[in-house]
Amino acid sequence: MNKQLRLDQANMRGPPNSEVDRRAALKLFVSGAALALASCGRPAEQIVPYVEIPDGMTPGLPMRFASALPLAGYGRGVIVTSVEGRPIKVDGNPRHPASLGSTDVFAEATVLSLYDPDRSQAPYSGGRVQDWSAFEAALQPRLDKARARHGAGLALLTGRITSPTLIAQIEAFTKALPQVKWYRYEPSEDDAIRNGAILAFNRPATLLPRFADARVVLTLDADPLGAGPEQIRFARDITQARRTHVPDQSLRLYAVEPAWTLTGALADHRLALRPELVRNVAIEIARSLGASVPELKGPPEAEHFAKAAAADLTARQGGGLVLAGPRQPPEVHALCHWINNELSAPVDFIAPVDPLNIGGIASLKSFVADARAGAIETLMILGANPVYDAPGDLAIADCVAAVPFSAQLGLYRDETAARCTWHLPLTHVLEGWSDIRAFDGTASIVQPLIRPLYDSRTAHQIMALLSNATGPSSFDMVRGYWQQAGKHGGDFEDWWRQTLQDGVVADSAAAKISLPAPQMPEVAPVSGGENFTLAFAPDPSLFDGSFANNAWLQECPKPFTKQVWGNALHLAESDAQSLGVVDGDMVRLVAGKAVLEAPVLVRQGQASHTVATTLGYGRAGAGSLGTAVGFDVYRLRPSDSPWALADVSVSKIGGRQNLLLTQHFFELEGEAKDLQPRFALADLAKKPDLGLSKPGGNPATLYPPHDYDTYEWAMVIDTAACIGCNACVVACQAENNVPIVGPDEIAVGRDMHWLRIDDYVIGGKPGFSPVPCMHCEHAPCEPVCPVAASIHDSEGLNLQVYNRCVGTRFCQSNCPYKVRRFNFYGYADGEEYKSFGDDIVKAVFNPDVTVRGRGVMEKCTYCVQRISRARRAAEKDHRKIHDGEIVTACQAACPTRAIAFGDLSDANSRINALRAEPQAYALLGELGTRPRTTYLARLENPNPDFGKAQS
Amino acid sequence: MPHLFRPYADTVARAVLIAILVVPFAAIAAGYWLSASPYETEQTITVDQPVPFSHEHHVGGLGLDCRYCHTAVETSPVASLPPTHTCMTCHSQLYTQAAMLAPVRESLADNEPIHWNKVNRLPDYVYFDHSIHIAKGIGCTTCHGPVATMPLMRQAAPLTMGWCLNCHRDPAPYLRPASEVFDPDWQAPADQSQRGIILAHKNLDNAHLTDCSVCHR
Repeated sequence: MNKQLRLDQANMRGPPNSEVDRRAALKLFVSGAALALASCGRPAEQIVPYVEIPDGMTPGLPMRFASALPLAGYGRGVIVTSVEGRPIKVDGNPRHPASLGSTDVFAEATVLSLYDPDRSQAPYSGGRVQDWSAFEAALQPRLDKARARHGAGLALLTGRITSPTLIAQIEAFTKALPQVKWYRYEPSEDDAIRNGAILAFNRPATLLPRFADARVVLTLDADPLGAGPEQIRFARDITQARRTHVPDQSLRLYAVEPAWTLTGALADHRLALRPELVRNVAIEIARSLGASVPELKGPPEAEHFAKAAAADLTARQGGGLVLAGPRQPPEVHALCHWINNELSAPVDFIAPVDPLNIGGIASLKSFVADARAGAIETLMILGANPVYDAPGDLAIADCVAAVPFSAQLGLYRDETAARCTWHLPLTHVLEGWSDIRAFDGTASIVQPLIRPLYDSRTAHQIMALLSNATGPSSFDMVRGYWQQAGKHGGDFEDWWRQTLQDGVVADSAAAKISLPAPQMPEVAPVSGGENFTLAFAPDPSLFDGSFANNAWLQECPKPFTKQVWGNALHLAESDAQSLGVVDGDMVRLVAGKAVLEAPVLVRQGQASHTVATTLGYGRAGAGSLGTAVGFDVYRLRPSDSPWALADVSVSKIGGRQNLLLTQHFFELEGEAKDLQPRFALADLAKKPDLGLSKPGGNPATLYPPHDYDTYEWAMVIDTAACIGCNACVVACQAENNVPIVGPDEIAVGRDMHWLRIDDYVIGGKPGFSPVPCMHCEHAPCEPVCPVAASIHDSEGLNLQVYNRCVGTRFCQSNCPYKVRRFNFYGYADGEEYKSFGDDIVKAVFNPDVTVRGRGVMEKCTYCVQRISRARRAAEKDHRKIHDGEIVTACQAACPTRAIAFGDLSDANSRINALRAEPQAYALLGELGTRPRTTYLARLENPNPDFGKAQS
Repeated sequence: MPHLFRPYADTVARAVLIAILVVPFAAIAAGYWLSASPYETEQTITVDQPVPFSHEHHVGGLGLDCRYCHTAVETSPVASLPPTHTCMTCHSQLYTQAAMLAPVRESLADNEPIHWNKVNRLPDYVYFDHSIHIAKGIGCTTCHGPVATMPLMRQAAPLTMGWCLNCHRDPAPYLRPASEVFDPDWQAPADQSQRGIILAHKNLDNAHLTDCSVCHR
């Protein structure tokens, strides 16, 4: 369906109060006018100062605190901005190895989760709200009984825990009561990676790639750039290694994968292969390194790919690196370890940061066995939601329900809470003290930004309760742990303050370990079966589903598909043709006894016989925004191979579902290569003129010239570095009070993101271009505004003056870049979608940015509030704003530093250097708009010998 | 046949014709005048406060510096009102039993802040920053009026956009040397027109104070 048709339907729907007739409208008009005339001035306002002002606080100025946020149990260091005691914005912590100053979508959206009105607010049991003392009274006799039996019958079920304090607490608890069972699992499980290391080295070890030293990287069904706790760090490292324009020194990326990942989109060579066949490529690489394994026989493109990749990998001694993903079995991981060892690959190994010496699935299976056998009488679930996100074949829901006394500590009264006898509200990560380790072992202290909004407790407090330790706060426990364990050399107070300020515990990264030469595993090439394979992946927006009630993430357009508010089954074009389905058609997927009926999204470039989909949807107890959005695939997930379900049959059934997409309404015919030019590094060196529309080009125009005599702000976006992760999109939303519109409005073609990421497919390869406002010097939106609400300022910013705007939308029509967004309803101001309008959600607003009302146009402002702040600071010191002093929200978030911002009038500024690059271009520059936002073309580094090796 | 029109009919007709031309303009002009009148901008209202704090006594009489209470004014967009603790630095010793100070003592005892009524109010879409005005030499009394003579506060300036722009277009008449910014009794010297131009040249780095983005974002 094209966009025009959608808009026609929107118009047919009529205004929300369509029952108002002419008479009623006149009456309302007259009474409104009468009220306005008789109104008696503005309502009174009050100023409420402190009784005693907190130390270090200045009213009206934001405060920043270092903390860390968990994702899949691992921490990413952040710096959280708090205004008048309200945390409103998350930025990366440059000192933290898993952040390096950048963020991801989940970190950016955390502040919205804090103010989620659907959060659990009190203990709950027996169908009503209880208080904590009732829970303690109910728990105590069970604890006493368990204690008498050395803990037998008492069990803990948690997600992945890397908090040193919590681990110490649990270990002390299980040491005192040795019969206590601790089960641990994580929905984004990496058991295969763990078992692969055991297979190769006879001991668990975590591989940390050094991308900075790599020249050729081959990913086998791995997605180092995809959503996960390492995403920010790996994205920075990989794109940094690709920055150089010397083809031999730039990192060349090969990707083999069943469905599109962000890594595949950046790769110079990509091969779509169904998950089972990926191992064949690994085996072929091993063979070329001298392993005695059988030769790969077909498919031909896989053979060519493997040969070219093998040649390239071996040609760069010490620079070749092969990575396998969690979907591949342990043998493939072991084989990759062997290959990396042969290649002397730039990899380090550390002991696993996750200390529990058992795989997640194995742990979950033993929980099921114990629960079935009736060995668990009292179950404490800390922060996990297994009823929703455990593999379906384990039937966890029945096991949890079978336990006589079960209590879940969680942020929401979710699916698991419904099966437990007690639900307990968990303190949000921004509300309570804790600590956490990053994927490389670096520890951070989790600092609260605000007192708990509700009567909630942390996992530390629950462990203290279980250990009968009354009194210590989470702060005391965390501080107490580090007083004992930290390397503070006696002066703990100084060390503690410095550690809190840095956000990183110094020298806490895991030490590198040396391992024996890896053993060659038993592995043989396979051929694919006739049936489909269902490949699961964490969702780029909701991850494992724990973010399902976050409106920013639900409405964050997924890379490639641009789908929001839902998921779909992704099918290859060839499979879709043979099934006779198009986008939105419902199919039935049958795997053994499990049946799933879901809509299809056809994906060019996906491996045939592969159905790809993402986790995190189809929640039954997420909250008012996330419940019943999309379909749940956890129930199809097999515990033995949690990322792929083999032998699935797919058939078309009648019916359609409207997929909610924000782009791709029609195909571009040839323009894409002008909108997103791409060059090979080798060509860049050869051709001085790439035929691009250069920044600063000045085609003939009727627009009057501007006199610029002060700063001239401009942005450069490097599409070669953009991986399409959406961090900038959500960061912009958080910084600029950009509302969500909800699925109904998306369905009629409306959305409010100030920054969108365009995805152009050229020659079957997607590529990303973030598109904010271009801040044209000759802005087409300006002359058409009848009230001068769209207007230029002296620094070249194209302003939108909300209090002038009357909503004609002429500017939107006249904008060639389509970056203007109109408030058809009061999306942020009285007509919000569901619980997004609750009072508590307003606490997330940035006070430096106007909340726009209904009928007002808005768009990217280059974060004018940040420019103003820097300008005022500079003017107080009687100096110019330094180059790099202003960092826009999107720029700060970007993990790959693809966005630069600065002053064109400063000849030495970085922005001028970037605009002078040979691959710099202005989007639609031929229109004569003289955009201030310009781009660097996408650069690829293909293997010149690729395809020549065919013999 | 009687006359259809009375003798004054012509006069009425002419008056109506003139009124058609004049009244709309007059009404618009009156509307503009009214909207910026002290009545409409609420400059005439002296705002009651929970504690009748007198600037006349504290500033005019005792000579307290503005920044003793409004501590954030040089660094923050808001001037800030003092925490109860600041009041009690003196009033734990002076007037300790005064009835009018009971709310202050209660505030400290109960750890409940005092709710002051706001006097100077700007619309939410205006982002005013006290600190930059102070740094550039706009004195407190330029906008807040002669506080040293005001027992209770009222809004001294219209705070309309026209009034803001008046100064943003030509700040020279209002600029003071840095040493005079907090002087509650400052009067423009006779040669302010020259002094202001020199101060503007020295201190004002932004020649574009009328850009919309300076106040609206």
